[in-house]
Amino acid sequence: MKAIEVRDLKKYYREVKAVDGVTFDVEEGEFFGFLGPNGAGKSTTIRILTTLTRPTSGKAVVAGYDVVKDGKQVRSKIGLVSDKLILYDRLTVLENLLFFGRLYNMEKKTMMERAEELLTMLDLWERRNTQASKLSTGMKQKVNIARALLPRPEILFLDEPTIGLDPITTRKIRDFVKRLNEEGMTIVYTTHLLHEAETLCDRVAIINKGKIVALDTPRNLKRLFTEREVVEFELERPVEINLDCCRVLENVGNYYKVETTDLSRFVEELGKLPVKVRYIKSEEPSLEDIFVKIAGGE
Amino acid sequence: MKHTLHIAWKDLLFLLRSPGMMVAFLLFPIVMMLMLSYVFPNQTSQQMEGKIGVVSQDPAFSLMAKSENVIFYKSLEDLARGLMRGDVMVGVLVPQGFTKGFLTGEAKLKVIPNPKNPQMAVLMTQMIPNMMQSPSLSTGRRMDVELSGVDGGEFNYYDFTAPGLMAMIAILSVSTGLAAAITRERELGTLDGIMVAPISRGSIVVGKVLSQVARGLIQALLILGVSILFFNVQMVGSIWNVILLLILGTFSFIGIGVIVTAGMKSQETAQLMISMINFPMMFFSGVFFPVEQMPKFAHYVSKVLPLTYAADALRNVMILGAGLSEIWMDIVVLLGFAVVTSSLATVMFPRLVKD
Repeated sequence: MKAIEVRDLKKYYREVKAVDGVTFDVEEGEFFGFLGPNGAGKSTTIRILTTLTRPTSGKAVVAGYDVVKDGKQVRSKIGLVSDKLILYDRLTVLENLLFFGRLYNMEKKTMMERAEELLTMLDLWERRNTQASKLSTGMKQKVNIARALLPRPEILFLDEPTIGLDPITTRKIRDFVKRLNEEGMTIVYTTHLLHEAETLCDRVAIINKGKIVALDTPRNLKRLFTEREVVEFELERPVEINLDCCRVLENVGNYYKVETTDLSRFVEELGKLPVKVRYIKSEEPSLEDIFVKIAGGE
Repeated sequence: MKHTLHIAWKDLLFLLRSPGMMVAFLLFPIVMMLMLSYVFPNQTSQQMEGKIGVVSQDPAFSLMAKSENVIFYKSLEDLARGLMRGDVMVGVLVPQGFTKGFLTGEAKLKVIPNPKNPQMAVLMTQMIPNMMQSPSLSTGRRMDVELSGVDGGEFNYYDFTAPGLMAMIAILSVSTGLAAAITRERELGTLDGIMVAPISRGSIVVGKVLSQVARGLIQALLILGVSILFFNVQMVGSIWNVILLLILGTFSFIGIGVIVTAGMKSQETAQLMISMINFPMMFFSGVFFPVEQMPKFAHYVSKVLPLTYAADALRNVMILGAGLSEIWMDIVVLLGFAVVTSSLATVMFPRLVKD
C-alpha cells in the first residue's frame, strides 16, 4: 500500500493557483522531499494532505483514507510539524505534550512513557517542567517535534522544520528525523534548502508555481538536469591539455578545471597523458544549480 | 519632528488602505452620537403613566381609596407578579393603622418600585407628601414615604443597575472573547495542532464556547457578590435562576463575535464592528436608564438586543423574586437569540479558521 496517493490536486484561491494539478505517490517508509522556493505551493500541499485545507479539486489519499471524506481517520495516522510552532507558551513542556496527547485519546501512563522516551532522545527531559516561553527557539522546535511524535504517527509531515534554527540544532533535528525514517516512519519533508533535500530524501519533488516540475531521486535529478560535469585536477607538472572530450575552464600552473560531457572517457584520456595525476575531483553539480535553472528560466 | 510626522502618516496610511476599516472608522462616532442622543429621557416621556398597585393592610383605607387607577392586591407576592407582568407601574404598601396615623399626622407609606422603571416610584415618593400639603387638609401633618423592595428591604439605584450590569458583563465579555480566542490561536499556529488531531471540529468550538461561558459567569457572579456585600443589593429570587439566566445570556450572544469576525476581512475591522454593536447595547438595554424613559425609537432598538431580556429577567428574579413561570417569555427570547446566533456562527466558523 502506498502511504500517500495524490492525483491532479488543485487548490485555487481567488486569483492565485496555489496548487495547480499535482500528482505523485509516496511509498510506505519513504523519505519524500518537497523542494521549492517560497510560495511555490509546498505548504498548501501539506495543508491539504493534513486535512487543514480542502482542495479545490483532485484526490488525495493519505494512509489509505481520503483527505476530504475521511479527514478524521487521516488525522489519526499523521503528525504535523511546521515552521509555526504548535505549542502553548504558558504551558510547560510536559503539559504541552499531555494536552495534545489527550486529543488522540492516549492514556496518561502511555503518554508519560512516550514523553520521557522522546524528550530524553531530544535532550529535553530535564526541562520538562519549564514553561515553553522560557525555551530557546531550537528547544521549542524540538518540543514541537516531540509533540507531533507522541501519538506515534505513521506519516510525519515536516514543513520547513529547520527554518531559523542554528546549525547545531538543525543538524540534530535532521539526524533525528532521518533516524525515525530508518525505523520505518514515512516522512514528508518540505524545504527550500537544496542540500537538505539532497542529503535527507529518497526522492525529491521540485515544485514551482503550483506545479511539480521534476520528481526523482536526488541523483537522477542531477543527471537529468546536467549534461556536463566539472572536474578539477592537478598534474605533476604543467602540460598542455588538448583533448576533444573536454574544455578547459581554468588553468593555473599545474592546476586545471575542465568541463566534460563524458566523464569516463575523460578519465581514460587523462590516464594516457605522459604525466602523473596528483589529485582529481569531480565537482558534481548540486541541486542548487538545477534549482536555479528550473525556478529561474523555464 | 520630520520623523514624527513620517511615522504618523504611515499609521494613517494603513487606515486608508483598508476600506472596511475606513468605513467603520468614519461611521462609529456618527452612529454613536445619533444613538446616544436618544438614550437620555426627554421631557414628554416623563409623565405618570399606568396604574398603581396597592397592598392595603388597613381596611379603612381600602374602602376609601377606590379608583380606576388603583388595583388592589391581596399580598406583596401578588403585587410583585403584577409588577412583573406590567399590570401596574408602581406598588404601594399601606400599613395597618394608616388612616388613623393620617389623621394624627404620623402616617407611614411604602412605595415599591417597578424594577424596570424605578423613576416612577421616585417621583411618587416626592409627590405624595406634596399632595398632603394641599389646602383642603390642615397643615403640619407629616407623612413618611419610603422606597422599599417587595421583601421590605431598602431599594436604591444599585438594585436597579446591578442585575443589568451582571448580564452586561457576562454578555460583552463573550461577544469578543470567542472570536479573539480562535483568531489568536490561528495566528500562533496552535489551532493547526488541534485541527490536525483526530477530533471533531464541533468539539473544538463547543470547548471554546464552554470556557468563554465559564469566564462570563465567574465575572457576573463576582459582581453579584460585590453588589450584595457592599451595596446591599437584594437577592429575593433563587440564585439558580440567576445562574441560568446568566448562562442563557452569554449563549445568546456568543456567536456574534464569530459571525462578525468571519464576515470581516481584518481582525481590526471586526473589533470596531463589535464595539459598534456593544456600545449601543449597553445603553439601549435599560441597564443604566430605564427603557420606559426613552423615546419610542429606543424602545424598538431595545427589543432586538438580547441584553434587554436578560437584564429584565434578572431584575425580576433578584428584586421581585420571580420564578421560572414568570420569566419564561424572556427565557424563550434568549433561547431564540442563542439558537440563531449559534447556528449562524457554526455555519461561518469554517470561514474563520481557513487561511
